[in-house]
Formats: sequence, structure tokens, C-alpha cells
Amino acid sequence: MKILERDAVSEILNEDDAVSLCSMFAGSESYGIDTRKIREVLGYRDLQRVPMAPAFIGGVVPYRGEVLTTVDFRALLGMGEYTGVNCVLVLEDEVGEERFGLVVDAVGGVVMVNRNMLEANPCTLEPRAKWLFDGAYKMPTGLMVQLDPQRLRPSRLAEAGLFKCRSNGEQA
Amino acid sequence: MDDLTKEFIAESQEGLDRMERCLTELETRPGDGEQLVGEIFRAVHTIKGTTGFLGFERLEKLAHAGEHLLGALREGKLAVTSDLISGLLRLMDGLRAILTLIEATGSEGTRAGDDDTALIEELAALNVASPVVAAVAGTAASAVGQKPTGAAVAPVTMSGNAAALSDKTLRIDVEVLNRMMNLVGELVLTRNQMLQSGVEATNFPELARRLDSVTADLRETVMQARMQPVGNLFGKFPRMVRDLAQTCGREVRIEFSGQETGLDKSLLEAIKDPLTHAVRNAVDHGIEAPAVRVMAGKPSEGCLRLRAFHQSGSVVIELADDGAGIAIERVLAKAVERGLVTPEQAEGMTEREALQLIFLPGFSTAAAVTTVSGRGVGMDVVRANVEKVGGSVELESKVGVGTTLRLRVPLTLAIVPALVVRSGGQSFALPQSALVELVYVPKRDEEKAIERMAASELYRLRERLLPVVWLDRLLGLETRDGEDRHGFYMAVLEAEGCRYGLVVDDLLAPEEIVVKPLSAVLKEIGLFSGATVLGSGMLALILDVAATAARAGVKPVEEVIEEAEVVDHTAAAEVSLLVFEDRARERTALPLDVVERIESVSLTQIEYAGGRPLLQYRGELLTLRDDGRVLEELEVAQGRGAEVSATVLICGGAGKEMQRMGMVVRRVLDVSGGTLLERDAASGEMELALVKEKLTMVHREFSVKAAPAWKEVA
Repeated sequence: MKILERDAVSEILNEDDAVSLCSMFAGSESYGIDTRKIREVLGYRDLQRVPMAPAFIGGVVPYRGEVLTTVDFRALLGMGEYTGVNCVLVLEDEVGEERFGLVVDAVGGVVMVNRNMLEANPCTLEPRAKWLFDGAYKMPTGLMVQLDPQRLRPSRLAEAGLFKCRSNGEQA
Repeated sequence: MDDLTKEFIAESQEGLDRMERCLTELETRPGDGEQLVGEIFRAVHTIKGTTGFLGFERLEKLAHAGEHLLGALREGKLAVTSDLISGLLRLMDGLRAILTLIEATGSEGTRAGDDDTALIEELAALNVASPVVAAVAGTAASAVGQKPTGAAVAPVTMSGNAAALSDKTLRIDVEVLNRMMNLVGELVLTRNQMLQSGVEATNFPELARRLDSVTADLRETVMQARMQPVGNLFGKFPRMVRDLAQTCGREVRIEFSGQETGLDKSLLEAIKDPLTHAVRNAVDHGIEAPAVRVMAGKPSEGCLRLRAFHQSGSVVIELADDGAGIAIERVLAKAVERGLVTPEQAEGMTEREALQLIFLPGFSTAAAVTTVSGRGVGMDVVRANVEKVGGSVELESKVGVGTTLRLRVPLTLAIVPALVVRSGGQSFALPQSALVELVYVPKRDEEKAIERMAASELYRLRERLLPVVWLDRLLGLETRDGEDRHGFYMAVLEAEGCRYGLVVDDLLAPEEIVVKPLSAVLKEIGLFSGATVLGSGMLALILDVAATAARAGVKPVEEVIEEAEVVDHTAAAEVSLLVFEDRARERTALPLDVVERIESVSLTQIEYAGGRPLLQYRGELLTLRDDGRVLEELEVAQGRGAEVSATVLICGGAGKEMQRMGMVVRRVLDVSGGTLLERDAASGEMELALVKEKLTMVHREFSVKAAPAWKEVA
């Protein structure tokens, strides 16, 4: 049993507890996903919309000879459409069966954090966010919300039922 | 499950497949039994040997009992009897069941139900009870033989499960794999060169060309690796037919040809169920009971012929029986009884149209529901499954002579010809196989072109009403503003018997597209069968034509009703004519509804047989009619070295009792309405009409054959 140390440097040096997160942004907040779950950061991609698809589907992009379904993170959080240049990440679930993309506003960089510093979701969180978020890290710049790629899987989101509502259907 | 066990299962299943083939063959030709028995013995022996090593005791015990019996058979101590074959088939089912269990659970099962003692005893009894003198086989053997006839249907479903593992694995010739590896190596090399030289380099075009050829080769090799002989699929049928024939009390022989015809593995899987269903149907409904056959002057043994062959870019699988055929009156009566058509409609139907009714959901002509068929799933499932992979189904039948079912499937699933269209600012691909024709409606005609009946919109296409579906509205896309519209295009599509016009904003190029599967969430939408990357690098969704029809509420039966209406319409004296020039300076016309398509054909595509020009057109051989000797002129032009193409009108129509044919013309002039004048007695097969105040010859003989309603006019 290791004693929690207050010193940030030694926290990170402690290899067992160190986690490298890739930071990304949507709206004004920052989010982090374990880098081991990220296959590739594609950068800006022109998304092909899929009519009649659930609102959280950002569209499809060609990726290594496959058609990658992407999840629009802003739509998941109920935010309006991003007007700037988006960024697509490719995520993969553990068994490697389902590959999907995540559309965010921008990707920051790799941040090392200590696993033990994770704060649980507050009880006041709305149900959708509670379902998506996996706690938060206190960073010098503000909170960084950890995301669980497993929960962002399109098929999982469709099952969850929380995100069923179709956006006005007229986005193009 | 470890790799060793997996491999063992795949290998054993293959061995059992071989055993199945040999067993049925052995029954029909006991004469050359030695080699066949040897083969069967080897299959069982291999299983026994490997199981002992892997520690599957139950399997080993059963295999051992079988091996013992087969050993006696091989040494000539036993005679081949029907009971013996049945016993061996049950041994095979037993082995297969255990293998399936191992595949599913990883163990061979030790529960009370998983006991093989009865089967082992039966095999032992067979070993004793049927000595060389078959006549002695008397009581003991037949007692054993009668018991399991009730269970004879079960193996059919079981063999379906057994295929699970082999569906996922594929045996590839090492040669092909090596070639693939070489090509991949070359691909990497080319890429390296490209990276080093950069876009500006002088040899860049050459590298691009190399890349192109390597990719093409690689694609071809991969396709080749996916090809499987159709015989793999056929191999399951002798056993099935044998069992079915026994349960239904029929005598059936099955014959194959073209087993070596290659077909993409995924397609082979896709047609497995429809074909199995069709074979089952043929044995149960097609072939009559032996007594009935003899009465009809046919041999008591019915014959089922399965044929596979290539025909212009697709593979045709033909299932023919020499049974009772389909009685049109019964089909019509049944359709009326089921409420699929009204009695009046049934009255006016041609034989071909009536046969198409069989493909409607909820149709089954089986007089009684038997264990084998007549359970409500019918030919509609067969057709839906085949159409899902871009194929088509044809049915021909003659009462008393037999029925022929033809499944036509594309060579490969992965690459399909498609037309790319735009609607609501997005690109969509429509499979060419579903595309019948394209109609352009310019802006000025937009208002008149679409007619309304309550909320549904209709388009009058050559006096046939066609339901209209707006793609952008159906998908909830942005509709374009009125200002910049130039009109719209309508793609006339046909799938699963539904014909409708799909309105799109624009047509892009026809392309050979590579189909990519969509993720589960997007598949659930149910309107798209996949996506594809276009030449421009953009993605386009592939529209599922049948599902779109269903979503828009287009029903297959509506088609029939419309056709009944059309007959009244065409009786009017004013008719639409396609005016063209075939002889020099002479205007000739054909009624527009007999012309299906106008094709521009390269002269080299036109072939000659017995002095008559022929054209291979979409898997059909069309006779070309060349009244104006246009072809001769074109030949001369080609002799001068010019690239020449001929304009061919494809005539004849769906649902009409007539062979399609092509008509070579000099050029097409116009489509317009005209009034028919008195018949010109001198010109015989031609008659005169007034089209836009000009005298025009109309092919009369042709029109009479093609459209029955024409007679009233002529």
C-alpha cells in the first residue's frame, strides 16, 4: 500500500499509478481519454452525414479501407454544432471488434496524471453526463473530465436510450 | 478452445462432408464400393485417431464403433444394404452432433442425453445382422432400420449448424497466397519509391501507373482466393434429397453439372438457404409420388438437376425437376383466396405474371402443410435473399413436364456497378441491377409531370402510373430552393417486385463501386446497404432499393393493379411513338411502350451467327433487326479505321409475352404523340401514322405482338 504523496512530480514518477491521457476539447471544457485506447488522431475530416441516423452520429469517414462511423461528442452533450475545424479520433474497444471515430473540436496533447487523483462524478450531474463521464482530474488549468471509450461506442450509445432523440434532422 | 481443437473440428467436418458424399454415392452405385468404402473408412479413422490424442472419449468410442463396422464392410464381410447406409448416416450425424457440441461448448458433453450407447449397439447389430448374403438380413436388420425413420428430418437442420466453423475459415491454395504476398511486397516497394521521388518527379506518372496495375492484380488475386467451387454447396444435397424423398415417399435422383463453377464465398453462403429451400420444395411439391408418375407415363424415379454455369458476368444456378409443374389455375385460385389479387385481375393475367405471384409473401400452393414444406415461408424468402445480394430469380414451369428455377447471382459481392446520384447535397449510390431507366423532367414540365391522388404522387411513364418517391423528403434532407433548380431526374427502380420512381436532384457518373459494410448502428436505419468511397475520395451511401420502397410504402401488389389500368389507357387512338430513321430519309416509328431502352453499342460487340446479327445484352441473347442495313454501312466506316458504335433500340417489355429483340437504327429522332391512319395494304407489316403532321411508318407486326390492346386500333 503506497501512501499518497502531495508532490505532483513524484506522483507521476510512480509508474503503477501513472496514466497518460490524451486531452481534447469540446466547447469550453477539456476531456481526457486513455492514450492506449486511441488508435489514431486523424485531424480534420470532411464528415459524410448519414440521413435518419441517431443524432449522436456525426457521420462516416473513410478510414484504412473501411467506413468509420463517428460519434459527435458535441451532440452527445447537447451542444450546438461546431463552426470551426473539427478533429476526428479513432478509438477501438478492447477486443478490437468495433472501431469508431469521435468528433471533437480540437485535440490538445498527452498529459500524465496519477490514477489516484481521479475524483468521482458529483451526484448533482445530469443523467446523460453521469453516464458519459468517468470522473475528473484536477488540473492546474481546470478540471479535465475522463471519458470511457467503451461507453462512447455507437452501439452502446444506441442501447443506452439516453441519446435516442433525433436532432431536428435537418442538419446538413 | 485451442487452435489444435479448432483445426481438428474443421478437418473432421470436411472429412464428414466427404463421407456424406461417398455414402449417398455408395447407395446408388454399390458396384464401385471398394474405393468409396475406403474413403469413408479413412474419414472415420482419422477422427478416431485424433480424438484419442485430444482426449475426447465419447467421440472416440463412437468413432471406434463406426470404424469397426466400416472395417468389416471394407473386408467384404458385409453387403451394402439400405439399412447399413442409414446406420452409417446416423453414425455420421452422431459424430457431427458431438463435433458441434465441442465447437459450441468446448467439451463433448457428459449429460444423460448425450449417450451414444443405443447408436453403438445399433452399429454392432448391423455388423452381425447383415452378412454377405443380403437375403438373410431379415428381421433383425429391418427392425433396426425402421425405428429411426421419424427422425430422418432432423439431420437437415443439424447440418446447418455444423457449417458454423467452416463458414468462418477458408482454405486457400498456397500458390495464391504467395502471389498475394508478392503483390503486397511490390505495393510496398512502389509506395517507397513514390515517397522518395515526390509528386514533382518526372517518373511520377509511371509510378502511378505501376501502383494502378499492382492494385488491380492484387484485387484480382484476392477475389480468386475468395472463389469457391459451387460443388461445395451441392455436396450437401444428395443426403438431403435422400432423406426428404424417404419422408415424402418419393423416388428422386439428383444430378449435378458445373460443380467447378467458382463463386464468391460470401455469395455461396447467401444462396445456401434459398437453394436448400428450393430443393426441398422441388422434392415435396414438384416431383409426384411414384404411382402418379407411372400413371403419367414417366419413370417412377423423378430427376432433379442442379446446374451451375457462368453467363455474362453472373453465375446462374438452375434447379430443374421433371415433376408435375405448376398449374396456373391453382396459383390464381390460391392468390384470389389469399386476397393477393382480385378475381378480375386474375382473369387478365398472363402465364408469366401468374407465376410471379408465387413470389408474393404469404403464398404457398402446398395443399397440405407437411413436415417438409408449406409452413408459410415460401418463395418470397428465396427471392428476397437472392435479391439482397444483387441477384434475381426466374421461374419457368410447364404442367406435366416440370419446373425450372433459375437463381442468377453476380460473380462477387464486393464490387458492383452503380449509378451515383445527388440529393439534398449528398451523394448516394443506386445499384445498377435495380435501375430500370432514367427520366429527366425539366423545370418547365415539373408542375404537370407529377400527378396527385390524395397525398401520393404519381408519374405517368408511357401511360403507366408510377409511384413517385422524393429521396430528399424521405430522408429528411434539405430540399433545394426553387431558384437554382434546373428540374429533376427520376430513377425508375425495381426491386422485389416493387417499381417506383425515385426523384433525385442530379445524376453523377456511373461507377464500379466497392461495397463497404456499415456499422451496426447505421445498419439499423435499414435504408442503406453499405457505403462506398467514390473516385473523388468522398463517401457515398448505397441505397437499399427494396427497403426504400418499403419505407415509402410502395407495395409489390400495386404494380399488378396498375397494369390492369394501363390496358384501358392504351386503347386510345393517340399513341406515343418513338420516331427514328432506319432506311435513308424514311421516318419510321415504334410504339414507345415496346421500347425499353436505347443503347449505343460498339460495333465489335455485335456478333454473327448463321448470318444473323446478335447482341449479348444483360445476360440475354438478342436478335438484331436491321431493316435499313445500317450495320453494313457502319462496317464500312469501321473499315476506314473509325471507332463506330451502332444505336440499338431494345424492344419487348416486362410482363409481356414476347421475346426481347434489338432494332438497329440510323438515329433516333423524337418521341411524340401521333395518330394512326388507315393501314397501308401495300406495305404489309407496316402502317402509316401522322406524327407532327409528317407521315411516318409504324411497325405494325411488332406492335400487335407486344401490346394486346393494340389490336383494337389496327
